[in-house]
Amino acid sequence: MMPYDRFMAVLSGKKENVDRIPCTNSVSVCTIEFMKAYDAYWPAAHKDPVKMAKLGSAAHRLCGLDNVSVPFCMTVEAEALGAVIDFHEDTIKWPSIREFQVKDPSDLKFPKDVSKAGRVPVIIEAIKKLKKEFGGKVPVNAYMAPPFTSISSYLVDSVTFLKWLRTSPEKVHQFCKDTLDLYIEIANLYKDAGADVITLHEMGASTDNISPKHFEEFVKPYLREIIGHLKSPTILNICGSALLIVSKMVECGASAIAVDERTPINEARNFVDKIRPGYPIIGNVPAFEVIHLGPIERIREFVRKDIEDGADMVAPGCDFWLETPTEHVKAFVQAVNKFGTPPPRKNLF
Amino acid sequence: MSESKKESIFKRLAEAVVIGDTKMAEEGAKEALAEGIQPYEAVINGLAEGMKVVGEKYETKEYFLPDMLLSADAMYAGLNILTPHIPKSEMKSKGKIILGVVEGDVHDIGKNIVKVMLTAAGYDVVDIGRDVPTPEFIEKAKSEGAQVIAMSTLMTPTLMSMKAVEDQLKEVGLKGKVKTIIGGGSVSEEWRAKIGSDAYGKDAMEAVDKVKMLIDSIMAAVEVMKKEKKE
Repeated sequence: MMPYDRFMAVLSGKKENVDRIPCTNSVSVCTIEFMKAYDAYWPAAHKDPVKMAKLGSAAHRLCGLDNVSVPFCMTVEAEALGAVIDFHEDTIKWPSIREFQVKDPSDLKFPKDVSKAGRVPVIIEAIKKLKKEFGGKVPVNAYMAPPFTSISSYLVDSVTFLKWLRTSPEKVHQFCKDTLDLYIEIANLYKDAGADVITLHEMGASTDNISPKHFEEFVKPYLREIIGHLKSPTILNICGSALLIVSKMVECGASAIAVDERTPINEARNFVDKIRPGYPIIGNVPAFEVIHLGPIERIREFVRKDIEDGADMVAPGCDFWLETPTEHVKAFVQAVNKFGTPPPRKNLF
Repeated sequence: MSESKKESIFKRLAEAVVIGDTKMAEEGAKEALAEGIQPYEAVINGLAEGMKVVGEKYETKEYFLPDMLLSADAMYAGLNILTPHIPKSEMKSKGKIILGVVEGDVHDIGKNIVKVMLTAAGYDVVDIGRDVPTPEFIEKAKSEGAQVIAMSTLMTPTLMSMKAVEDQLKEVGLKGKVKTIIGGGSVSEEWRAKIGSDAYGKDAMEAVDKVKMLIDSIMAAVEVMKKEKKE
């Protein structure tokens, strides 16, 4: 079975049709060893579509991961709205915001043409290249920061923004409403370029940051809106504690949800099955503590437990750690091969 | 002044912190001073009591980050008015802590909340900010004569910076003399064990408990040494 068919079957709720559980990562799949292997170092790989495509497919090529994924950054949307990004030239560091200049929705700088804003054209080009090479064989994932995370983490100073949830809720809504179309447009541009799945990485909305009530008020409506406008399959990914909001995550309407180790899969499963029996949950082998640190025996043990707990796709639910040894990613995929073939059958009655 | 009047001012200060009302905290603090209440008492029985409630609400998941941030603002607003009036002799510190976000990470919300909780609990916190170069933790601990170094990071890539501080502490022979505590989004008990930190606080409330434990252990060790010297 091709990774594409395996992946799509799970996303469309037909996991009974797969030969084994997919092993994926729908956020950043790059490591420094992968950069070395394809001469696709940061920061160049953020701005060069050829390098981006190579780096985004390295984990598939070298380790057999069941998907390819671009970009490797959550500041793309903020950049499109005028944020100035520090790419840390000559070092390998996550891009960051130089200065938080936005204090009011009127400070946002909307691009005339979204398809030409910031790195959006680079990502579109990288998706096209990946689609050309892997179309129908390996699923092409494109991930992005949705409004809440993008605005609260990369456009407005986080402390100020989080206080507004209580002191100026109308302002928070204004930010989300004003920018919503831009996020929808970016997602659709990725889709049209050939992305098979769009992952909305709402890491700023875990309950480590905000309450379930605020998730309901400020996050869910906008995610629903974006997902409703997308014609492609979608994954809603939240790293950080999300057990208290898993039902709300499902209600956002994505094809699947993805979580990291701070949301126990078996407990999430219980909540989710009450409202949507069998709805796909992706996760949650720790990217740092397990896949990066290893050792290989421990990676195997976590994968086995993850499948036993009811993960429909095995994934970290968070970016691969940059220093992860390639051997560990290989062991991660091989463990899913071993313990996920055939996928465990659930006794539904 | 009647005890009940005093009590009502303490209650108002605590309430201001719990609901995160900066103006109410300022007014309460001013009233406390005007009524001749000992400012130290107003801090301990008013502001700090409120912060204790906030901490409990955070632990039981009734409060989240936005609530903590607003409560912290209210507490500092009250503190800024009250502390200048506390005589130095009354500033009883339970211990000194160097607190910072490790090198490479600029996320300091969690660190700031830990600072609020430690301050409210009566510790002297030296805040050295975010993205702090490794040697600065050690230099500050030495120059300030601190008992504890508290480090925070939200990100996984910067976990290694915590290990770097631990390694340097060992190199300069301060490991064990200055205790360390780590916390933050990507930090875990497992990571603590791996790098040999003295404690891990899963949140700001636990951080306060663990810091107390660390400082108590230092004090106990000092007592033992004193005794041994005498004998």
